[in-house]
Amino acid sequence: MPDSLATLLVHPLFVLPLNVAGFLGGLWLYRRSGTTLLHPIVGASLLVAGILHALGIDYGDYQHASAALYALLGPAVVALAVPLKQNLAIIRRAAVPLTVTLCVGAVLAPLAGVGLALLMGASGPVLAALSGKAVTTPIALAIAGRVGAAESLTVGIVVFSGVVGAVLGPPLMRRLGAGDPRIVGFVLGINAHAIGTARALEISALCGAFAALAMGLCGALTAVLLPLLVGA
Amino acid sequence: MAAGNRQQSLTARRAGGWLAGAALLLAANLAGNWLQAALALPVPGAVLGMLSLLLGLLVYGSVPRGLAEVSGALLRLLALLFLPAATGLFFLDDLSPLDWLGLFAATVFGTLASIALCALLLKKLLRRYAPPGSGEDHHA
Repeated sequence: MPDSLATLLVHPLFVLPLNVAGFLGGLWLYRRSGTTLLHPIVGASLLVAGILHALGIDYGDYQHASAALYALLGPAVVALAVPLKQNLAIIRRAAVPLTVTLCVGAVLAPLAGVGLALLMGASGPVLAALSGKAVTTPIALAIAGRVGAAESLTVGIVVFSGVVGAVLGPPLMRRLGAGDPRIVGFVLGINAHAIGTARALEISALCGAFAALAMGLCGALTAVLLPLLVGA
Repeated sequence: MAAGNRQQSLTARRAGGWLAGAALLLAANLAGNWLQAALALPVPGAVLGMLSLLLGLLVYGSVPRGLAEVSGALLRLLALLFLPAATGLFFLDDLSPLDWLGLFAATVFGTLASIALCALLLKKLLRRYAPPGSGEDHHA
């Protein structure tokens, strides 16, 4: 391969359009297939990984060239304050049950994951990445940096938990007699974050509001507690 | 012509609102980072930025339209923003098969167990503190 072509392939001018194209492809696949299993991030990362392999692009170079996207993650976390503010009035009435469930869920979600992985004999880096599994990806990435977990592993686990929760969660809760949209939304927000919130919005606006709320609060709570626990 | 001018000034005002909204997000993010560094807090700066923006919005009383639109657009693009990190999952080759198995089981069963327990707990608590259609429920 000529040098100039190799330089172009790891230049932001090639990598950023590649990311956007992969994202649009993933979105198209998701809408076309109509199944939650093919969430845009699943299709998009498969497409981009395939192209990187095909063109022989090193992952580190690709990641470096994608810096502009990483830079926007911080403002995206800050933007979560908007749905939080907009939904604050709805939850006042159920404040006590929501607060208790949030505190229990924020501890339970990572604990269930880490505990099971420990039983299966997984190693330290895997356990560290699992501890951030219950929070939405941008917050999980920020936490991963602080507790020393591999960020791609963390994102993979977050995305995978989200898909599992969004697909299997609502039927499971209906079967348990907990089909109240407030319950389904809030529990999806705690356990399946952004993907669960998207799924909850498909069920009803009220369900989506509770999911957005739980996602934001659970993320903030885990972000505060986890580095303290791991640091201790 | 007058209608066209008004249209133009409306567009300019909306664009101004977007810029102001984007500036607000950046400012809150920077303030959070600064706060984290200055006080050596264990919480990520962006989360502190989110909390300070929420506090600001509560004091202000409502969400400015430009900020709401920029935030909505950014949150819809979340999947694009973490695409590079998610792609890295296919380039991890230092994990043992045992790690993969543990990861898979922990994710699937851990998520389902946690969902079931949270849902049952919230159902019980809601029935006690805030049954659907009680008192001042104006959503029903």
